[in-house]
Parts: sequence; structure tokens; C-alpha cells
Amino acid sequence: MERAKLILSQFALAGFLSVSAEGVDEAALREEAQKVFDEKVAPFVKKYCTSCHGSRAKAGINLASALKNPGGESASLHWKKAVANVKVHDMPPEDSSKKPTDEERLQFIKWVGKVKYLSKRDPGQFVIRRLTKTEYANTLRDLYGVDTSIADSLPEEVAGEGFLNSISSLQSELFLGIANKVVEQIMASKGKGLTANQKRLFGEELSKGTDPYKAARGVASSLARDAYRRPPTDAELDVLVDVYELARKNKLNHTEALGLMLKAVLVSPQFLFITPAGEPKSKESIVLLDDYQLASRLSYFLWAAPPDAALAALADEGKLHKPEVLRGQVARLLKDKRSRALFDGFGAQWLRVNDLDRRVFDPKTFPQMTTILRKSMMEEARLFFESILSENQSVARLVDSDYTFVNEPLAKVYGLDQSVLGSKMRRVKLTNPNRGGILGMSATLASTSFPNRTSPVLRGVWVLEQILGERVPPPPPDIPELEEQARSEVEGLTLRQRTELHQSEATCRNCHKVLDPIGFGLENFNAIGQWREKNDEGLAIDSAGKLPNGKSFSTPAELKGLLAQREADLARNLTERLMSYALGRQLEGYDDVVIDQLMVKIAKNHYRVRDIITEVVTSYLFTYRRIKG
Amino acid sequence: MKMTNSSHMDRRTFLKGAGVSLALPFMDSLTSAAASARPPVRLAFMYMPHGVIMDQFWPDNQDAFLNSPPPIIKSLQPVMDQCLMMKGISGVPITPFKGAPHALELSTWLTARLPNASTRGRINIAISADQIMANYVGAQTSLPSLELATMPQTWKENQEGLHEAYYSHCSYRSPTQPVPAEIDPRNVLTRLFGKRGKAGKVTKSNPLDRQMLDRVLGGARDLRRTLAKVDQDKLDEYLDSVRSVERRIAAIESRQQEAALEKAGVRSSKRDASDSPPIEVKIPEGDKRSEYMQVMCDLTILAFQTDTTRVSTYIGSRPNGASYPELGFSNQHHSQTHYGNDQEKIRKVAAINELNVAQYAYMVKKMHALKEGEGTLLDNCIMMWGSGLEDGNKHRRDNLPFILAGKGGGALKTGRFLSNIKGNQGDLLTTLLSCVGVPLDRPIGISTKLINEIKA
Repeated sequence: MERAKLILSQFALAGFLSVSAEGVDEAALREEAQKVFDEKVAPFVKKYCTSCHGSRAKAGINLASALKNPGGESASLHWKKAVANVKVHDMPPEDSSKKPTDEERLQFIKWVGKVKYLSKRDPGQFVIRRLTKTEYANTLRDLYGVDTSIADSLPEEVAGEGFLNSISSLQSELFLGIANKVVEQIMASKGKGLTANQKRLFGEELSKGTDPYKAARGVASSLARDAYRRPPTDAELDVLVDVYELARKNKLNHTEALGLMLKAVLVSPQFLFITPAGEPKSKESIVLLDDYQLASRLSYFLWAAPPDAALAALADEGKLHKPEVLRGQVARLLKDKRSRALFDGFGAQWLRVNDLDRRVFDPKTFPQMTTILRKSMMEEARLFFESILSENQSVARLVDSDYTFVNEPLAKVYGLDQSVLGSKMRRVKLTNPNRGGILGMSATLASTSFPNRTSPVLRGVWVLEQILGERVPPPPPDIPELEEQARSEVEGLTLRQRTELHQSEATCRNCHKVLDPIGFGLENFNAIGQWREKNDEGLAIDSAGKLPNGKSFSTPAELKGLLAQREADLARNLTERLMSYALGRQLEGYDDVVIDQLMVKIAKNHYRVRDIITEVVTSYLFTYRRIKG
Repeated sequence: MKMTNSSHMDRRTFLKGAGVSLALPFMDSLTSAAASARPPVRLAFMYMPHGVIMDQFWPDNQDAFLNSPPPIIKSLQPVMDQCLMMKGISGVPITPFKGAPHALELSTWLTARLPNASTRGRINIAISADQIMANYVGAQTSLPSLELATMPQTWKENQEGLHEAYYSHCSYRSPTQPVPAEIDPRNVLTRLFGKRGKAGKVTKSNPLDRQMLDRVLGGARDLRRTLAKVDQDKLDEYLDSVRSVERRIAAIESRQQEAALEKAGVRSSKRDASDSPPIEVKIPEGDKRSEYMQVMCDLTILAFQTDTTRVSTYIGSRPNGASYPELGFSNQHHSQTHYGNDQEKIRKVAAINELNVAQYAYMVKKMHALKEGEGTLLDNCIMMWGSGLEDGNKHRRDNLPFILAGKGGGALKTGRFLSNIKGNQGDLLTTLLSCVGVPLDRPIGISTKLINEIKA
């Protein structure tokens, strides 16, 4: 493989190395990429694309600026979109005067693949971000022993709007209100002895002769170490002691004054935001994350919770960044029950099942979609995801497996032969090859349907984008939806025939001939994932089809089998998504080069899911940050 | 305005009735309150996406408007003399973003501007009309503005590469800061008006909180210095919100002071003894969309009635995603709006339009029945209902549907249908802000003039 030759082993943590053990050097790659770009990519783009996608940026694709700075951060998204459109013959449009040959298209796609080598070596900045609602609640739970429901009043985050996270006037005092509650719960009522929590956080009662301000500074230091996830600076301690003083001067006793100090900690941006620790002294523009940042990044990635004592100790000792230590910590954190956050925060969103409890299903068609059933569906998805992870199975098993988790309501939906009673979820061996894996699972099948019917198009897009990581060009504006086809035109036709009608339009055909076969391959599953032989109109379902690579299938089981063979694509998609989640940013530019390198390592042991997580955590992108430029 | 000594007794009774403990009408100082005999003017915006079925929305003429309104606006008939409709307000031309009609219908609605095309992947548009008003009058109430919506935005799409939050936000505090809307009525009720069942007990603010926050803000300056520009912006957003908490505590303290003065027999409120008591708000138990919309309308009324805020937005529903099972069909709103010649779809869209206007009518009628000062609560408000598209079928924006209700303290002349207005969305917003007394240093968005025809 060409990619294998390019790989720089141990590159991720080597930091300054630009020449690998195999002797491939980045400068040479860059030079070659520049040559390919100048001689091939640029002429293609100028010939076929820029008359529309120049600086006017039609459909948000601006190739003029991408031509100017092809390796720039913002360019990579434009290249990816361009490739997606060219690949499915969606662009240039049918009516354009100049159209590339199939051979030219393939070449273009191949060349653009090299553009990433033009990007400068760059791990990206460490972007500060506010704790999510879940992270915030978990942090309060772990540090102060309160129940996570204490944060229930915070608004839900809108997925994908991570960097917005703005707060309205109405919401702005929530953090203060919650801080109040936390302090209330920690403090003993007047006249009673100290609570255990109080002792742990504030120390024993002030003994005679102790300087209260000195004691307060000591408490401030330990509170802030945990809450800010790093040792506080002197200036930060001054602020907290100031708050203590304010309380004392207003006739609060020592313990009450410490309570106000804790409240100040809890509304401080150092607590609510994951921030870099101070200004690094280095003259370099790229530095290793310090161990405190690394500990936070790791624990919020795998647990959505703050570093525990063991991680904090490793950070204090300055050992955490060592690759073998980091690997050990990944394994340890994943064994802890807090790691279910990885499904709740990542897995559920990735599989798009996160809003299953709120989705509308037509109550007449699907009266069984009760809260209990929806919860059971989510549980199945979670337990399955976690089993793949804890057993370190291959990504292929995510798509095609011979077991799942069910309870009685779910077993009914699946029509299982085995007798499954009660609401408890249990692992069952499946004999029906159409089930098993995320494509035969009711949570995902229901999440990709309309309230009253299936949507082969949504399912097709879901498989391509979420599972295989391909980019599907968006539909052109103002397109009619399926339901708008005149009645006379569609009478007696199956959904497939109706959708194929849709494919007769030039503007639709190119994308739909890729999407639809996959979606129709899953038509035997109705809008909540039940098996059926006939569609809503009573016509027999034909689930046969062909993938773009020419391989054909005739049942959902065969479709799953074909998709499971694409291990490298499945693994790359999962790796990219995990990386993006871990870093809290989109991947661009140089990131692709790093992912290439990770894929070689991950491939060696059959693309196992826990290996993927370990490689993400020990990667250059996870462990370094850019501080200048 | 009558001043009676029994007013503070009455107030206590009101509070008990509504479960209100925190949001007493707020006032700057005793003198200003005594001087201002007129109740404040408030402004509210309520949204429905995807436009209307035009021929079932617009009346043929003035007489039809008052006496035989078309089906979609029929629910307003009893209060039509309190309403004002004007035909001929065009939307922002979206030419450079032709493929993004739905990403832009809500986000251009109160900004009357297009997003910045070169940074479309991020939010960069303009401050919205409601937030301009909040900047001007917000300091006089405990909440500068109120933002409500019926449900979370579940639709994800980057039309024309635009950030998906353009789909779901109409309020922008600054070009880059969309204001999220609250969707849980219980949260709003608790936070605006304290916990139910504890009517007598005023939520006490800790007197030291304000000074504590002040120190935290001071300390954050050091942290800020170590951050990159883009990170500073993020931090500032939080620090701004801490500052607004400080201000809200100040408002509460001032209100407590007011209450103490009243106890001592000093009359201090601008609330008239003959004003209607604050309305009771019931949180619906089921999941009927119309009931959820009504409770949000009730919360708007209560917030205005208690002068908790003077400007609010309410996204009755967001583009795409919403369905209305109570109307007897489960199709999503958007899927029906590209109706072509399909009569069945036209019927469904009209039914959805009618349901939305009916909730607005519910709010307006209720406000018209509440006494305030010399007239009704509605007399002192401007309640605007509308959509960012004229018609969802073809995404037209030449003739946006708007309804105004309320006289805005005498600024608007209601009971009229103006069939031939020439102006745009920015003109309308600019005019409305002028009606509620907000001075502008420049017109809003694409505005070029005032629409004086709507004024009294």
C-alpha cells in the first residue's frame, strides 16, 4: 500500500522528528504534493469549477481561496466537499459546457488526496470550552458528592453547537443558583458538628491560635487544585482569600466564610471552562500539553468527568505524558463505570440515536413506541457499543454481529423465538443473520425514519455518512419531496418504484443511485425496526441492490456482510469522529496526515475499537498544542 | 392613576394567587416611579416558520378584516379592533444564499440582514431588534429580555454552508452571539417567579453574592490575558453573563428595599390598585402542542404584567421538524408546505397556520381582558406575530405575513388593514422600535425608511 510507505512510525510522540525510521521525510512529501497540485489539481479546478465556485463561493464552496492557500486550515473542508460532489458526478452540473471524463474525475480525487501534505505540521490550538451540562454535573458529583440532578435546570446543549454554548439572561444565574445548592448541601446546619464532606473539603474546625487567613489560604489551595484541575496561581489564591475576608468582615464565621469561598470557586471561569494552565515558557510554537491539561483532556474524553485522584497524582508527578503510562490510564479509565459517558456523549450522537426519546412516532401506526420501549432501544444500543469496546472487538462487529441485548418489550419488536421475560436487558445470541449489529437494530432504524414510514434516503445517508464516513452532497434547494408526486403518477407503485421515479430527474439521479440501494436494502425493517415482508401498500419488498463498487446483495444480512468487509473505512470514520470529539474541534489540514499514520497502526491488529481509542489518546494531536502562529 | 394606601395588601393577595414570590414590579427609584404615571411600553415577537396559505390569510379589504376575516386569522375576530395588518412588507433578499431559505427565515426575521458570507460556518449576522431594545430598556427590569421557544431544534442541516444555529435562533445579542431560547415552561416559571407553593417567602439573595461575583470577575482578568483572542471572546460571553447576574441581584435588592418601604407605609409602586392581579400559569400535563404554546404565551403575559421584562421573543416553532398530531395528521410542517397543487396539503398547511394564529389570539385576547392603568395590558404593548417566508411552497419573501396587536401606549392605530404598504422587514422593525421609544443610531438591517402609516 502506498499509504503504508508514507507512514512515520512512532511519529506521533516524537514531536520534532521529520524523518521517519523508514526514511520517508515530510519535506519530500510536501514537495511532491506541491508538484501534483500545481500541475494537476489547480488546472482541473480552474477548468471546471471556479467559474461558479470562485470567490463568489456558490453553495459555500470557495475554491478561489483554496487555490491560493491549498494547505490552509480552512481549505481542507472545501476540498472535501469538492471531492464529494465530483465523485458522484453531481458536479460539474449536467448542463455545463465543460465536463471532465470519468478518468479525469478519478485522477482529481486521487490528487486532492495529496493536498493534505501541503499543510504545515500542526496539532491545533488548545481551544478553551465550557464544561457541557453533563460534564458540569459529573464534576460536581465527583468533587463534592452531590447528586448529578443538581444541574438539571441547566439548558440542554444543542449538539454541534458546542462552541456557541451561549447563555441567555434567564439562564445566566443558574450557575450561581447551583453553586448555592452545592454549598448548602455541604454545610452542616448551625450548631451541629461538621459534615464528612465539610471535613474533607475544609479541614477540621479551626483550633485556637491558628491564623484563620493562613488556614483559609490552605483550604483555597486544595479546593482550587481540584476545581481548576491544576495548581492555582498565587493571584488566584489571593482572589479566594479576598472572598474569605469579605465574608469574615461581614460577620460570617470561619466555616461560613469558607462556604462563600467555595461558591466563588464554583462560579469562576477556571472551574467552568477547561483552560490551558498558564502561559508556557517555551519559545517553540508547538509544545506538549502539560500533564494537568492532559489529565483533563483524557478524563473528560472518556468519562465526561474530572480527573480522579490517580490521574491527578500522575499529573503532579509529571509522568502522565509517557506513552506507556497514558496507555495504562486509557485501559484503567475504560474499565471504570464512568466510561459509559463515552456512549452517552459520543456513541449516541454518532449513531444519531440521542433524541430517540423525543422523536415523534405516529401513535396510530406505532402505539407500542412507549417511553419504556424507547428506553430499552437506547439501552440496547449502549450495551452493544460497550460490549464491542470492553471486549476490544473489531469495528466490523459493530456492523455485523451475532448477538445483541434485549428485554421483553424489545424481544417482541424483534419477534425473537427465545423466551425473554421482564424489563431487564440481557445478552442474547441471534440466529437470524438479518439482525445483529447497528444496521439491524431498532434504535438506529427508528432514528432514521419518518413518524409514519421508513425513509430509504435517510437510511442511505446515515450509512454512508455516519458509518462509512463518506461525504454526501446536500440536496439542491427547492427539490420536491417524495410525497409531492402526483397521486395518479404513483398509484400502485412501491416506495422503491416511487423513489426510482425520483431518480429519473437528472439533478437527483447521481446522488440517489448511491444512497437509495443501501436504504432499500434495509426496507424489510419498518419505521421502528420490526421485520416485514410486505410494505405499507401490501406489496412484497425487494431488498436486492448493488453497492457503488458493483457488489450486489439480496438481503439485509448480505448488505451488512458487504459493509463489514470495509473495515478500513469503518475504522477510519470512527477514528476521525473520536478524535474530533476528544479535541472538541473539527479535523482539518494536517490532521488527515496524523489520522493516516494512526490507521496503519490500528490496521495491524484488525481495527479493534479499544485500540482506536488508545491510539487517539497517545496521538500527536491529543498530546500537543500550538501556542503561536 | 389612583394611589391608595391599601395597595400593599392587595399586592400580597396577588402574589399568593399567582405563586409569585420574586418578581414584584421593579422600579428604579421612588421618585422616577412617582413621576412616571404611565405604565411602560412592551414589545413581543411570536414566530411561525414556512409562511402561510396566502389566500386564506389576507383579508380582501378593511370590511372583511373586521367582519369576515379569512380562516387563518378568524380566531382574532373578537379583538380585530385591537389588531393591525399591513400587506406589502418584503423580506431580506437572500440571493447570495439561494439554497438556504429555511436557514435564513428565522435568523433574518429580527435582524433584517444576511449573515456574513465569508464566515458562514460561524455565527456572524447582526444584533436583533429585540436585543437592541433590551440594551435600551433592559436595565430597568430584572430580566433584560425573555426568549422562549416551544421545543428544541432537532433539525440539523448546513444549508449553503451556513452554521446550523441559523436555523434555530432569532435573537442575537451581538453579531456573533445568538441567544438561546428556553423551552421548558416550568423552568421559566420557577426562575422568573420563584417556587410555587412558597408564595409568602421571598427568595432571598445572599447580600454578599454581588461582592463575591465582583471579586471573581476581577480575578478573571488575569486569566483573560493569557488567552488567545478567540478564547477571550468565549470567556467574555460568560463574564458578561456574570455581570448580568450581578445586575439582577441589584434589582432584587432594590425590590426588597421597595417592599420594606411599602411595609413602612410608603407607597412606591407604579402598579395601580385597580390593575388586574397577575395571571395564574398552569403547566400542561400532556404533550399537546397547543397547550405548550399557550403556557409560553401565559409566561409572556405574566412577565409583562409584572414588569419582569419589557421585550420578549417566542419561537412558536422552528423551521422544519414540527408536527401537530392534534390536528389529526402526523406529517411534519415543512413536508406539507411544498404543496404544488395538492389540495390535501394546502388544507394541512392552512390548519397549521390557523392553530399558530389561534395561540397568538389566545394571548392577545387574554391581555385585552387584563386591566392596567387607564386601559388594558394590551394597550401598553405591541405584540407582533409573523413568519420569515411569505409562502413555503416557492419560498417567496415579497409579502411577509405579519399581524400586530396592541396600541403600544398609543403609538399604533389599530383596527385597520393596510392593503398596500411599501416597505421591507427592516423598515417595520425600525418603525416598531420607534413606536416603543427606542432611539436608534442607524436603521435596522436593510431598512431605508419608517412605515408611518401604521402609527397613530
